[in-house]
Amino acid sequence: MRPTSGSVRIRGLDPVSEHRSALVNVGYSPELPNIQTFLTPKELLALTAEELIIPKSEVSREIKATLEIVGLTEYTNVRVSKLSKGMVQRLSIAQALIGSPDLLVMDEPMIGLDPAGAAHFRDVFRRIAKERGGTIFLSSHIMSEVESLCTSVCMIHRGRMLFNGSIEETIGNVLGSTFLIVEADPVENCLNSIRTIPGVEEIRKENDRTLELKVKPGKDVRPDIAEAVIRSGAKLFSLNYSEDLLERTYLEALKKGTNF
Amino acid sequence: MRPRVIFTFFRYEVKRSIARRKIIVLAFFTLLIGTVPYIGLANLHHALSLIPTSDYPYLWVAGVFLPQGLFIQFTAILIAAGAMSEEYEQGTAELLLSKPVTKAEYFLGKFFGGYSLIAFIILLNMVLGVVSATITFGQQASLSVLPGVFLAQAYAALLFFTVAFMIGELIRRSSLSYIFSAALFFTSTIFGLYLTVIYTLTGDVFYKHIQLYIPSSPIASLPLLYVNGSLPSGVASLLSSIEGLAGGSVESSIPFSILLISIYFAAAFIVAFVFFELSDVSRKVS
Repeated sequence: MRPTSGSVRIRGLDPVSEHRSALVNVGYSPELPNIQTFLTPKELLALTAEELIIPKSEVSREIKATLEIVGLTEYTNVRVSKLSKGMVQRLSIAQALIGSPDLLVMDEPMIGLDPAGAAHFRDVFRRIAKERGGTIFLSSHIMSEVESLCTSVCMIHRGRMLFNGSIEETIGNVLGSTFLIVEADPVENCLNSIRTIPGVEEIRKENDRTLELKVKPGKDVRPDIAEAVIRSGAKLFSLNYSEDLLERTYLEALKKGTNF
Repeated sequence: MRPRVIFTFFRYEVKRSIARRKIIVLAFFTLLIGTVPYIGLANLHHALSLIPTSDYPYLWVAGVFLPQGLFIQFTAILIAAGAMSEEYEQGTAELLLSKPVTKAEYFLGKFFGGYSLIAFIILLNMVLGVVSATITFGQQASLSVLPGVFLAQAYAALLFFTVAFMIGELIRRSSLSYIFSAALFFTSTIFGLYLTVIYTLTGDVFYKHIQLYIPSSPIASLPLLYVNGSLPSGVASLLSSIEGLAGGSVESSIPFSILLISIYFAAAFIVAFVFFELSDVSRKVS
């Protein structure tokens, strides 16, 4: 698709004018997995392998390995028309993964997946990023998914980029703070010692054993907080960053209406 | 451009057409057209008595030429009009082109894949016609012209195949593409018949000249011109009546017919290719 303005480069190459060269080692899974229904997973991956010019001797092994990754081995020879929505989504991811690309563009990859499938693919993407050292572009409306998977985030609203950067930096820049959830019992014991920790700006008691701490971004104060809780004699049950930080960031950025 | 990738899309297009059962239905109709008339003719003793026994060895021409004017062209349109447009409607073009392949490889693979199917239908019709004629009327003669007739019919089918392919690419809606392509073909054929009638009534060669240039003329004339002279004069009357069905009486030459088909083909092919190269591959449109 030609850009209406601006430009995109993949490893320095223009994907419109240098389509073929730019898309080498790039895997793409579209938002709507429009796959020809007469094909079987094996046939689709064989077609994709031919498009990628994967050597014939390696095609069978590649198909087998890819179907294993996405959990479709049992459905190798079942027509797409007979697969469930979740399975078709898995197949769409499979055709993006075949050939071991080091750049993946995944448009809403978790749509249609059951919770177990979504968890499986989160692991798959983490493993790919770690083992291949490549880049995965993940487009998603599920903020918790982005927060749990991504290292950098770019948020676009009505075609305008609201912010772009590492998740931690972005949250810090937009919200000015980050939030920690501390679960301890009795929580009152540790309130005073937590308050004295440098970086802790505000404490809000959510219930009898849960605190929400507003802390300055940049420094990870979790070890200090854990230590303070334990020294106070309270039992520490959990200590995590708030899971809806990215969502808060997004809403805040929308409210402020400026770029970050 | 890599022939291997073109061949990948070629095979994909063949498989896609077969899976959509279009080609199976068309092959079934080819079977009917290629066999039923002979079986019917052999059993209708009154009709049979009208055909001189000396023409029996040449009755294969009916099976080979009868579908040329309408059925083969319409089949070409059915195959070609959906080749590109159905991919847009189903959103599958986006996925296929998201790989490191060029648009030209995709375009050529799909074009020739679809064209191979119409060539197959022509061949099937030819084989069925000859076999049915042999079974019902005995040994057939002058069959040595068949390879040339096949090439002539296949080349003639290229015209409306390419036009329908172009319309499919330009409109990107399969049903509309079928309608427009078929309308163009039938308009051209009917217009040709009108021009023939006007020329016959008025004797004004102007109408005859116009008729020579309309797209249905060269496709009707090329295969018939090729066999002219190769068959006994008794068979000529049969061919003339077939010629009449295919858009009126056409007088031309083989080079002129080839030239006209080539011009129409080249124009439609270039327009389709340039449009495809310059326009976005949209997501699912319906």
